[in-house]
Amino acid sequence: MRNLLGATACVAVISTASVVSAFECKRSEANFDKPSGFPERALTMVVPYGPAGGSGQVAAAMAEAVTELTGIPINRDHKPGGSGTVGMTAYMAAPADGYNVLEHIDDASSAHALNSALPNPAKDLIPLAISQVTFSQIYIRSNETRFTDWPSFVAWVKAQDGKATIANVSKEGSMERVTMKFITDATDMSIQQISFDKGAPRYGALLGGQVDALFEQPGDVGNFLEAGQFKPILTIFGERPDAFAEVPTHLESGMDFDALLRFRGFYVHADAPADRVEWLKWAFQRGYCEDSYQAFNESKFMTVIDSYRETEGAKDLITRSIAQYRDVYKAMGMEVQ
Amino acid sequence: MIENFLAGSAALFGDPFTIGIFVFGVIGGMLFGAIPGVSMLTLAAILLPFTAALEPAQGVMLFAVIYCTGTYGGAITAILFNIPGSAENAPTAFDGYPMTQNGQSGKAVGAAVLCSAIGGIASSLIMMAATEPLANWAIRNIGPPEIFALVFFGLAVASSIGARTIWKGWMSVLIGLLIATVGQDPVGGINRYNFGMVDLAAGIAFVPAILGFFAVSEIFVQAEKKASGKYKAPKVSMTFPSWLELWMHKVAVLRSIIVGFLCGILPGIGATLAAFMSYGEAVRWSKTPEEFGKGKLEGVISAETANNAATGAAMIPLLALGLPGGALTAMMVAVFQMHDLQPGPLVFMLSPDLIWIVFAAMFYANLSILVIGLVETKTILNLLKIPFQFLAPLILMLATTGAYIGRGLVLDVIVMFLAGIFGYLLRRSGFSIPGIVLGLILGKIGEQNFAQGMQMVHYDLGTYFSRPICAFLIAAGVLTLATSLYRAFKSTKASA
Repeated sequence: MRNLLGATACVAVISTASVVSAFECKRSEANFDKPSGFPERALTMVVPYGPAGGSGQVAAAMAEAVTELTGIPINRDHKPGGSGTVGMTAYMAAPADGYNVLEHIDDASSAHALNSALPNPAKDLIPLAISQVTFSQIYIRSNETRFTDWPSFVAWVKAQDGKATIANVSKEGSMERVTMKFITDATDMSIQQISFDKGAPRYGALLGGQVDALFEQPGDVGNFLEAGQFKPILTIFGERPDAFAEVPTHLESGMDFDALLRFRGFYVHADAPADRVEWLKWAFQRGYCEDSYQAFNESKFMTVIDSYRETEGAKDLITRSIAQYRDVYKAMGMEVQ
Repeated sequence: MIENFLAGSAALFGDPFTIGIFVFGVIGGMLFGAIPGVSMLTLAAILLPFTAALEPAQGVMLFAVIYCTGTYGGAITAILFNIPGSAENAPTAFDGYPMTQNGQSGKAVGAAVLCSAIGGIASSLIMMAATEPLANWAIRNIGPPEIFALVFFGLAVASSIGARTIWKGWMSVLIGLLIATVGQDPVGGINRYNFGMVDLAAGIAFVPAILGFFAVSEIFVQAEKKASGKYKAPKVSMTFPSWLELWMHKVAVLRSIIVGFLCGILPGIGATLAAFMSYGEAVRWSKTPEEFGKGKLEGVISAETANNAATGAAMIPLLALGLPGGALTAMMVAVFQMHDLQPGPLVFMLSPDLIWIVFAAMFYANLSILVIGLVETKTILNLLKIPFQFLAPLILMLATTGAYIGRGLVLDVIVMFLAGIFGYLLRRSGFSIPGIVLGLILGKIGEQNFAQGMQMVHYDLGTYFSRPICAFLIAAGVLTLATSLYRAFKSTKASA
């Protein structure tokens, strides 16, 4: 597996190359002259997911931060559906005048990896900033008695002969499904993945004992962790984050693959006027530094690892992710177009 | 509990600013709930950033109040103009609008006001009394197989709603189920019937379809009558239901509270399923099921009691477990988080004041539905005096705006008009519009839970029957189906 993904040292990328901390971000200019009066009216932010989910919340937090900073209002236009493709298509059809920006997640990268006819977020768009980067974990109930840690979980799952269950969002080609394939291949265990597209039923399934484990990112289950209801037993990341120092990583547990990350960011059309793009980059990158946005990220466990990428760092992360997904899809026998 | 409730009431009414927020939520929820497309979710999304400037209890309370009154608001337009404000008000239109046409608009709106308030108040009281144990019971005993069985049970009665024959009733439900399959499948994300159109990958949205099937098809029907000189303007009736009439429906109200509450408590299900299930149960238990869909008061009572009963119930998994039941309760999680709070077991320990202000506000919001509803109803009923030639374009404009505004897609406007045309043709042929809408809405919920359930039981359907609640619901559904088929064969034989 390591060979398969050898070219994509994603973990190293996270810990070294494109790390731009919030501290460094603070050093960027506090003011930026408007190019030829741009923007002279409100911006529109296309959000390809509903207002209540993770994307809706990050879009609202960033819009608020940018407005605080610049005084320019941002109208959020939610276009959910088709795993983000509906919103992406609507955005690509909108005028490339800099007044339209896009929020999107890593689904855009995996979708392009599977079908190159879909926009490449690093080439057909210009990333203004990626403001959330996070890793995944495997959770069990804190009061679980059948298994208590990763080794005992793996042993228990193997004894169930394929009847153990894990809740996730296992759409074809998704980060979750690909990562679970890495895990099951590496551990030689078979586990039934139950796909829940909404968070509440997914978390409720674990709380109520409908499933045995949960695949999720820590920010989305923060309240269950704080309440002591969920317990992480595996971190899918290159190193142990301080906040989860007791939890082994997949590498430590003998699974030799590079972690796929969940990331959310903001984009503008690649052919938007260059001076306007520069202003937007400044506004969104400084917006990340605003106290309100930092407080939001803190509440979402997004300060556990470095969660920020400026334009070049974002392009790098996206390009590597696309290559990684494409290799994995081919290895899984999926048709890559 | 009473002490806490009184303390919550005192906190709510002890501060003029908090009272102002409460009143704003009550009126805003009713208005936004009543206008199609611009739902209570729109209002909530607009208000979300502003809640950061409020006290945590004020912010959460505002959303809870909007949830209660917004769920009621859509009933008025459903009854008067066949335009449900949102999906949970669609079953209200099944009988509410025919009542308007029969000159019983006052009775229908009066029943909606009263029953929304009763359903909401009852569920608020249950919520105050037993949030934590109820949430824990539901989460442990109701999973995807049970929710699928519940949907199957609900669909089994749909055949008898509003169609000329049982066969056409079933065809209507199947058409709805077929429409529900458009878009990505709920488990693997595989595109179905989208003909390469990206916008269709998200499936047929509920609101445009409902607006088309109800409002647009109705305009065509009335226009046809107008053209052929058969049009009769609906009589404006100010007669409210009598206490005796309401007393006669006490069993329906009680049943709808139970059904609405049970559906509302399930994470991710909410008021829409509650209203449809309750309506279906009213049909099932009725001695005259053939009268439903033609202007039966019990239809309005069942739908409106249940959808408001679901509001208090939906707060239970949210507050006790941190699990939002729908989009609005999910936004409430964001309100909590803006103030560094997390809904869940800890909030009862750490912020009991907040919890009891919210509980008290929901109780009074439901009471406000009764007071404001009864005062405003007589004014609203006068809208029916507008001549058809002015009213029809107004409704069409509202419906078109409502269809477009949800996702900002022209496709949704096209879907609305196509649904209107097909709805008109199908109505002429004796098919059931409620059956189609029921199939469409329950189909999506049912398919998703069936697929999840099958994965959970390792594709062994027999395992469904080892789960007692699931087995009971499926058996009841099969029995209903068999009875329905027996009646259909019998009536076909009799007419031959």
